[in-house]
Amino acid sequence: MVYKNIICPVCGGSCDDVQVNLDKKNGTIDVQNACKMGNAKFQEVVSHHRILKPTIRENGKVKDVSWDEALEMAADILVNSKKPFFFLGSETSCEAQEVGLHIAEYLGGLADSNATICHGPTVMGIQESGMVGATAGQAKNRADMIVYWGVNALESMPRHMSRYGVFPRGYWTKRGRFDRTMVTVDPRVTPTAAASDLHVQLNPNSDYELLSAMFTILNGKEPHPSVEEITGVPISVMKQTVEMMKESNFVAIYVGLGVSSSYGKHRNIEIALNFVKEMNNYTKCNIGALRGHCNVAGFNQLASYLYGYPFGLDFTKGYPRYNPGETTCVDLLREKDVDAAFVMSADLMDHIPAESAQYLADIPMICLDIAPCPSTTAAEVVLPGVIDAMECDGTFYRLDNVPVYFEPFTDSPFSETKSNEDTLKQLFAKVKAKKEA
Amino acid sequence: MEALLNTGSTIDEGRLAKGGSKYTDDYTKECAVCWMCAEDFTSLGCPEKVAVISRDRKYSVALTTKVTEAMRSGQVFIPRSIWANVVVEPDTFSTGSPRYKGSPVFVEPTDDEILSAEELVTKMYMGGE
Amino acid sequence: MADVILKPIGNFDLTVEAEVVTPDNFAGKSADDIGKLLVWQGPEELPLADFFSVEGNGGSSAEDTTIIIDGEIPRVKRIGQEMTGGKVLIKGSAGMHVGSGMLGGEIIVEGDAESWAGMEMKGGSIHIKGDTKDHVGCAYRGSWKGMSGGRITIDGNAVSQVGGGLVGGEIIIGGSVKHFCGIRISGGLIVVKGNAVRTVGAEMTGGTIVVGGCIERFTPGFEMVDVESDLKFNDIECPGEYKKFTGDYAIPQKGKGTLYVSCNNNECL
Repeated sequence: MVYKNIICPVCGGSCDDVQVNLDKKNGTIDVQNACKMGNAKFQEVVSHHRILKPTIRENGKVKDVSWDEALEMAADILVNSKKPFFFLGSETSCEAQEVGLHIAEYLGGLADSNATICHGPTVMGIQESGMVGATAGQAKNRADMIVYWGVNALESMPRHMSRYGVFPRGYWTKRGRFDRTMVTVDPRVTPTAAASDLHVQLNPNSDYELLSAMFTILNGKEPHPSVEEITGVPISVMKQTVEMMKESNFVAIYVGLGVSSSYGKHRNIEIALNFVKEMNNYTKCNIGALRGHCNVAGFNQLASYLYGYPFGLDFTKGYPRYNPGETTCVDLLREKDVDAAFVMSADLMDHIPAESAQYLADIPMICLDIAPCPSTTAAEVVLPGVIDAMECDGTFYRLDNVPVYFEPFTDSPFSETKSNEDTLKQLFAKVKAKKEA
Repeated sequence: MEALLNTGSTIDEGRLAKGGSKYTDDYTKECAVCWMCAEDFTSLGCPEKVAVISRDRKYSVALTTKVTEAMRSGQVFIPRSIWANVVVEPDTFSTGSPRYKGSPVFVEPTDDEILSAEELVTKMYMGGE
Repeated sequence: MADVILKPIGNFDLTVEAEVVTPDNFAGKSADDIGKLLVWQGPEELPLADFFSVEGNGGSSAEDTTIIIDGEIPRVKRIGQEMTGGKVLIKGSAGMHVGSGMLGGEIIVEGDAESWAGMEMKGGSIHIKGDTKDHVGCAYRGSWKGMSGGRITIDGNAVSQVGGGLVGGEIIIGGSVKHFCGIRISGGLIVVKGNAVRTVGAEMTGGTIVVGGCIERFTPGFEMVDVESDLKFNDIECPGEYKKFTGDYAIPQKGKGTLYVSCNNNECL
């Protein structure tokens, strides 16, 4: 049967135009409109490597167990932990993340999500200076200058350029690509850079200096000449870029991890945001982050409205606190400051530095995921995941923080659970029962 | 050779990771790769494999080399993956986010075997279980 | 003066938050009572005596009380938080947030200190004889105003964001700093006797920064105005010749700060 307008549960683009043809009898799925990454994830519905049975590791050996046994053991680990840590990954719904946050609060643990190892500094930068933002649709219809700063959109969000960024015909950009100027700022000649009108190839870790110099130019002053050597970009190119921006009708800047993850971190974002604010004295200008996962923005929204902070939540004192560098995933694990972990819908082991990963492998870990990966290998308890937007309904927040409600086209393969939210609710009930006993 | 390490996504890394294929040879072939420019490749003696070593020399990972014009001299790139993160600096400047971009590393020719993602996690992180 | 001696004896596998360890809280209490004060380890509140042996009673007031911590406590956070008087002497390394929000009195750390020492402090003095990490005397996340009074002296090195948002008071670093020293300051004084890596004085709108060593990567929005020699700020002396810059012109705010950079170590500027 053919299903239309399915939401893609992969990157922050959360594309809403995917068409699938699921043949349950033959176990095949045909996917239209999705990119390579999206297509690969849709194949998971019928894949052979899908995790279908809960497992636990006993004396170094992995064995299949019933759902009830796995949930019991998971609850035991969490209840016996002095300071549990919850990594509520972003390839699942806000509804599931919400239950995870409540368990963390109930146990006085800590909760974090993919933002911490992704656009966390961007969120911190926004906290420092506020943001002039726009929805993806606004930028599509109005923007005649696109800046991809520290992001390789073609490979990290493959349909961004065709859906929102560069190619689509918008209301005021009727000729699509021909009505837009595209600039990429990246130390590497990425496919995105190759497709741009101007590629500013700066030195690694010099984003702050480049932004600061462009800001100085915008304020009518001459930047210190040493900036040319630091950034590897001539001042004349900086001036040209600023002029191009001023002369455009609407500038959309998209930042990636190149800005938020290189040296400077949230300060890079902060000055970029201030630059954008000032640029609005001359023309319309806005900034947005290209977010890596379908619901990474969702966790920030959810945690902010429930607990006041976007990520790195510390419930140890009974009320939420937040201090990146102290209450965030990589730091907690590096400093060995938690003693059990619950990892949901994210391959955490894969994406954190060795020192943190080693400690994560040392402590008891519960992992909820759909396919085998380093995190499930190192976990004590593995709970099979349900694929959001394919097998259950829920909510994602798109890259521009627009909530997207998704509906499934098939059912959960498990009789024991309908969704990750359901699994977590069952776990929470067991945790409560044990804690109160 | 000293270099600045950049990590990030490639389309096939994304395709394989999202498709749950982290334990396939294709994934190792796509991600256990160190990109560099021809000049650096030559100065290292055109090795088939290199060890990328963290600044404190505590961690090292063997990777195949790939020569590309996308890189400048003194900069190397590894697709975002478990291999890259072995040598990413864990210090976060009190921001929670490690140095995925611009970590200083050493790059040296090596004959070490390239581990799969599964071998890497069991041998390096889980103490050889 | 009454001395209270705390010796670390507990299990610090998980970090401990001990904001009760201040002369204000110890004043007027016997050693037994002090041992019953509660500290946090994870979500649990446990008596101080579980982690430290307590010797000696508190004085009659905070000013009369000296707390001596006889050992290394890099995993104990918030010692001396919001203290108003008296003295804390840590004979080893201290954890995060030492002297955070401090109003008066004196803290001496003989070893290193973790990040966030003297966050938003308003008075008193902190002397760290070893190194420290990020956010010394800095503003809390999202806040625009950091330390507003008192003095922080660090004999060793600091890392990033020294004195972020400083509005008053003094920070003197004997060693070197890395990134964003004096970010967004609008008052006060930061003296770095060693080197700095980059973005010194970024976004500053007031206050003074002196760098005696070399700045590896200069902040682009500064303009040189003068050369001055043998600087003196009350009792703080900075001998030698300095190039005087104003900035940061990267931000449109009216006020501008002053950045002095040693002539000898920065010939290329």
